[in-house]
Amino acid sequence: MSRKKTEKEYEKTFACHFFRWLHGEKDLYVGQMEMRPQEVYQESKEEAEKRQRAKNILLNKIYGRKKSKSIKYLELFYRLASILFCGILIYLLLLTVSWLPPIGVADRPVNNEVSKRYIEKGLEETGAINIVSGMILDYRAFDTLGESHVLFVATVTVLIMLRLDKKHDNGTDLSIEEAEANDRNYEPKNDAILQMSAYVLVPAIILFGIYVILNGHLGPGGGFSGGAIIGAGLILYLNAFGFQKTERFFTEKTYKWISFGSLSFYCIAKSYSFYTGANHIESMIPKGTPGAILSSGLILPLNIAVGLVVACTMYAFYAMFRKGGF
Amino acid sequence: MFEWIRFIAGTGFLATGIVIFAIELYGAFHYDYVLNRMHMAAFGDTFGIGVSLVGLMLINGLDFTTLKMMLVILFLWCASPVSSHLIARLEAATNEKLEEHMEVEKE
Repeated sequence: MSRKKTEKEYEKTFACHFFRWLHGEKDLYVGQMEMRPQEVYQESKEEAEKRQRAKNILLNKIYGRKKSKSIKYLELFYRLASILFCGILIYLLLLTVSWLPPIGVADRPVNNEVSKRYIEKGLEETGAINIVSGMILDYRAFDTLGESHVLFVATVTVLIMLRLDKKHDNGTDLSIEEAEANDRNYEPKNDAILQMSAYVLVPAIILFGIYVILNGHLGPGGGFSGGAIIGAGLILYLNAFGFQKTERFFTEKTYKWISFGSLSFYCIAKSYSFYTGANHIESMIPKGTPGAILSSGLILPLNIAVGLVVACTMYAFYAMFRKGGF
Repeated sequence: MFEWIRFIAGTGFLATGIVIFAIELYGAFHYDYVLNRMHMAAFGDTFGIGVSLVGLMLINGLDFTTLKMMLVILFLWCASPVSSHLIARLEAATNEKLEEHMEVEKE
């Protein structure tokens, strides 16, 4: 004898809910959770006109489109040239891909004497146990210098775009103080729990970052990863204690001088090392015994320089996006 | 014999951790209000992870990895509750209809 249920009774059972969910007939999110699908933005007529007017003003006043026809032609040329350029680039890249050797062939061009030399003589020539460190900070140090400069240029770009003045200058933008007050309107200020945990964690995080930087030539780690850890610690400290506390030891001036000092030190030290190396002059930089903390020549100071730049860049990005300056 | 006890205790802890994660998942999807769901999530992220890692530590035995796992527990127990607390505080500060969901003490 089988039990029979009416449809209304069945609809209340767990099995019904489960199978409806399984077949996708019932969406658990719709109507149940506190979320709504985003509405499509619809522009009213006045807003569209206002936008068009603003665009015209921009084109006329800043680019002077009304005054000269040549700018119009230049725009047309620019568009055509960019399409042409992209087409050529796509063609070239596809052509290069078609020339690549098949995967797994022994005589691929990558499989050459360079990597062999790195592995066999890396320890002897650079003094670093971590071969990757020896590669990026000794054999290919200019590449790493470029990367550090990319970070620096990125910060400068963000500074140009997001920077606010200390005071009002023309009454349109917020000043720094107002931006901070505006930003922290709803945010819990001086939260005791966060402050306590930051008080415990921040020294450990920064110490760990320093350890990663100083051990870059002995094991996994190095300037970029260690700098990122220190930057994260600084950001945690900033979140817990606010800008007033961090500005006691980290201001725009500090950032400027640390970045400038580290990058120029890197540049000068590596130029000296490359110059002496290329001209077969004794560079006078001791290699030390591999495995000791003070060893492997220039790699340790360069790691420290890179770490400082990365840590400052992380912090500066955060401060800039948060209130447009620091 | 001792090895067997250690193994059984370790797997017991791991299984408990999995059950706790299952409870967390159920709770995070069952409740409607954000604070209830966040409570469940934080519960899993602290208790579940702690119990699972204790199980792994028991299975692993006493060496340097175990100490590192202890450090991981310490770090997670610092990070997860604090972040949950901050989000909860933000919700309490910004939700205008807080009385619909809970009793609010009048100042």
